[in-house]
Amino acid sequence: MSQKEINQENSMEMDSQSMIKSAVNSSPPEKIHLRPMTLSDIDDFMVWATDSNVTRFCTWEPYTSRESAIAFINDVVLPHPWLRAICLDNDRPIGSISVTPVDKIRGEIGYVIGSKYWGKGIATEAVRLVAEEIFKEKPEMERLEALVDVDNVGSQKVLEKVGFVKEGVMRNFMYLKGNIRDMVMFSLLPSDSLH
Amino acid sequence: MEMDSHETQPIMTSSPQGRISLRPMTLSDVDDYMVWATDPKVARFCSWETCKSRDEGIKYITDSVLTHPWLRAICLEDDRPIGYILIMPVDKIRKEIGYVLARKYWGKGFATEAVRLVTAEIFKEFPEIERLEALVDVENVGSQRVLEKVGFTREGVMRRFYFMKGSVRDMIMFSFLPSDPLK
Repeated sequence: MSQKEINQENSMEMDSQSMIKSAVNSSPPEKIHLRPMTLSDIDDFMVWATDSNVTRFCTWEPYTSRESAIAFINDVVLPHPWLRAICLDNDRPIGSISVTPVDKIRGEIGYVIGSKYWGKGIATEAVRLVAEEIFKEKPEMERLEALVDVDNVGSQKVLEKVGFVKEGVMRNFMYLKGNIRDMVMFSLLPSDSLH
Repeated sequence: MEMDSHETQPIMTSSPQGRISLRPMTLSDVDDYMVWATDPKVARFCSWETCKSRDEGIKYITDSVLTHPWLRAICLEDDRPIGYILIMPVDKIRKEIGYVLARKYWGKGFATEAVRLVTAEIFKEFPEIERLEALVDVENVGSQRVLEKVGFTREGVMRRFYFMKGSVRDMIMFSFLPSDPLK
């Protein structure tokens, strides 16, 4: 890891304040932290990347070979401007979260979690962690947005719980695996208060 | 989506009112172009700054207007342009509409007619297009009304969406689908 990545990793460590915020869940939240992903995460990556339940609303199909997954990590993950593994206490990833620049002032957040870990508030915590840090890290960013399939209610709830604003439904916005989809647009501004 | 040379593009005549027609712009339109391009009230919600000289106008028409993949002069009966309307590709299935009108002709329904004309034809011309969208500054109420009158759907306010002339603007997203009814 570069020094920059180490610094980013340290800044993404979850602190006790974040734990208190997520206490509204009915069950104790899983403790997670964010760190850069590496090639050594390949086997954990395969767990969620081969799962068609996970990829249902992703533009990509489930991975079927370790080689293609390695290529993805080399070609997309490692050069990505901002992508983090979502890790449990044992530092093993159970998903990933990323912020991709749309233009000079807009970034788009995306996240994916292994289905075994759904329903535990993990995505919500990961998004909250990013929302708390990203505007300090990228002061030129005026807007963090997210586009969610109209049928992906779980992911819409994640964003609403963190405090993203639902701006509207963009009709016929993009193709997902051969079908044209309506997408819900969410945004978070540096001035918005997090839930 | 590169278009054919403008000589082979159809001239669109107007909707039932017959007040306006659309045609490609040419360099000989420069003086009419200068009327709106030099007007700060017209430029207010546009990404461009007002034109400062006829030479600058000629250069802009040559470099940006004549080369545009889809741009049409909005003309009155005398075939002189009072503005223009354009379509920009966003991606393979989405296009964005934009239009500008000289201030003297505001408030008379000309922009509405032009948008209606284009919207009625554009999906035939580009059958792969699933969505025609428009982004309008929150303060540009006149332009919002144009789209509503034609039958565009107002989808929502995109906050801090667009950086223009030194400030970040909230923009309203409108869309029109091939299946939507024209008003």
